[in-house]
Amino acid sequence: MGELVLTRKTSRFFREMNTVITVMARDITVYLKSPSTAIMSLAMPIMMMGMIGGNLMQNMAGGLDFNFGSFMLVGMLINMLFMITTMGMTSLVDDHDIDFNQEMLVSPVSRYSLVIGKILGSAFGAIMGMAGTLIVGLFMGIRLPIGQFLTILALSPLMCLSGGALAMMMIGLIKNKKAANIAVMLITMPQMFLSGAIIPITNSSGVLLILNRLMPMTYCLDLTRAVIYAGTPEYNSVVMFNPAVNFAAIVSLTVVCLIIGTFFFAHSEKNR
Amino acid sequence: MKVIEVNNLVKQYKGAKAPSVDDISFIVNKGEFFAFLGPNGAGKTTTISILTTTLSKTSGEIRVAGFDILKEARQVREKVGIIFQQPSLDPQLTAEQNIRFHACLYGMCGYRPTFKLMPASYRNKVLDLAEIVGIQDALFKPIKKLSGGMQRKLEIIRSLIHTPDVLFLDEPTQGLDAVSRRSLWEYINEVRNQYGTTIFLTTHYIDEAENVDKVCLINRGKIAACTSPEKLKQSLLRQELILDAEDRKTLTNELSALGMPFTVNGRVIVPYTESAQEIIARLQTKLTVLRIHEPSLEDAYIEFLNKTGRVAAWAN
Repeated sequence: MGELVLTRKTSRFFREMNTVITVMARDITVYLKSPSTAIMSLAMPIMMMGMIGGNLMQNMAGGLDFNFGSFMLVGMLINMLFMITTMGMTSLVDDHDIDFNQEMLVSPVSRYSLVIGKILGSAFGAIMGMAGTLIVGLFMGIRLPIGQFLTILALSPLMCLSGGALAMMMIGLIKNKKAANIAVMLITMPQMFLSGAIIPITNSSGVLLILNRLMPMTYCLDLTRAVIYAGTPEYNSVVMFNPAVNFAAIVSLTVVCLIIGTFFFAHSEKNR
Repeated sequence: MKVIEVNNLVKQYKGAKAPSVDDISFIVNKGEFFAFLGPNGAGKTTTISILTTTLSKTSGEIRVAGFDILKEARQVREKVGIIFQQPSLDPQLTAEQNIRFHACLYGMCGYRPTFKLMPASYRNKVLDLAEIVGIQDALFKPIKKLSGGMQRKLEIIRSLIHTPDVLFLDEPTQGLDAVSRRSLWEYINEVRNQYGTTIFLTTHYIDEAENVDKVCLINRGKIAACTSPEKLKQSLLRQELILDAEDRKTLTNELSALGMPFTVNGRVIVPYTESAQEIIARLQTKLTVLRIHEPSLEDAYIEFLNKTGRVAAWAN
């Protein structure tokens, strides 16, 4: 028998980073092996951006003191990141069904690394969907300068992490695919309408104001719009908060959601 | 040295009326080959799940490899390997990708996107193990194209790649053919001999537990016996001499005259506890059949189930 022992890497940091990359790579591999998933994530922007967005542009853009096309493009880009990441997180239910979650949870790594890897893996499909949104936007005559696109691309992992962490709070507890699909709708639809993705929320008040302030997507959208509209006269009409406030809010809400979501996930798998 | 120490373990699932594991205690020593046997639903898998930290306990104290499973779960996970009762492979990945995933999570090597880019130590190890269990041709095929037996072999490679101190095998040979079963046990014994790995086994093939150091019988969540296979057999069954003669009547008369109990069931069966040699020496009748029947662990196990009423319950 040959030498059995492979040397373990001892650095805790290396182990956790390696776990994040490994779990993420698995989801990306599975995504690339599934042409139907790739096609759907590219086709979704046609419906979201082309149909819903196009209709809104034609019927709602009048009377606004800013370009609704750019406003909506940013909304759809971020909405797509949140929506596809959330959908990707439902694969945790599939992993539960095939007992793959047990394989992950019996390994000597942080549960946070597993969840973050899972979110970033789901983010790959979301970023593909973002590319689809940009292409549809081009056909609708909405252009995004390359510099702004690269800034959004650089921010997209943080935004996917934020959306995925929020999704974990619900999906982490669900062990049934049908329930998970309903959960996706419950998570994504209110955010789409309440966080200002396609409808401005600068005049929201009461309960709606509280809800949109609690949603991480509100700050992701506002931060992205701050990048897009920086230096333009429309900035004050579109952007609600200082980018630093947005960034701090995204990080804080993501950390809180991640802690709660990871606890729910690990707890529900272990406590039967 | 104790490597697994279970004290008063209780597990009651949510909504269950009775505990699945009811106040059990046992010890497994370092390097021991330990079998945990019992009928379906006895609490074997529940116990393994708790010991490997994938299931919470209701109460009790457990230490694995010197670590508390609750407070030092991560350290416990570092030391254990497991083959789950149900396959836990990703069917969308290839066999090798499943192994790579496991090896990376256990910190054996940094992740690379292809097998060729992985470190040579990893590649050689995977190819060696694949050859030992006979799945070298299937290594790069998707899991969904592998037979159940091949998938089981793959799980075996995966569980051993990080060289665990304690290996939990929850019905590891389920679905394997006889040749694969034998090659698997030869390999596990080799691992055990070379690295002193402690083996914790549950199985429905009782013959696989014949050579274990210690066997625990569990039934309805309670441990009924925990001892060596030899002692268990002695406590439940007697050895038997199987005799026959051309004139069977003369033989049975002689046995009666000597005060030796016997039964006739195809042959003349004489149970004994001391020396078979003494019985044979006292017989004058010319024998045509003389065999010693050593009860197997399976005989003892069936006897145990008979005594606890599980066989009757199953038959009904």
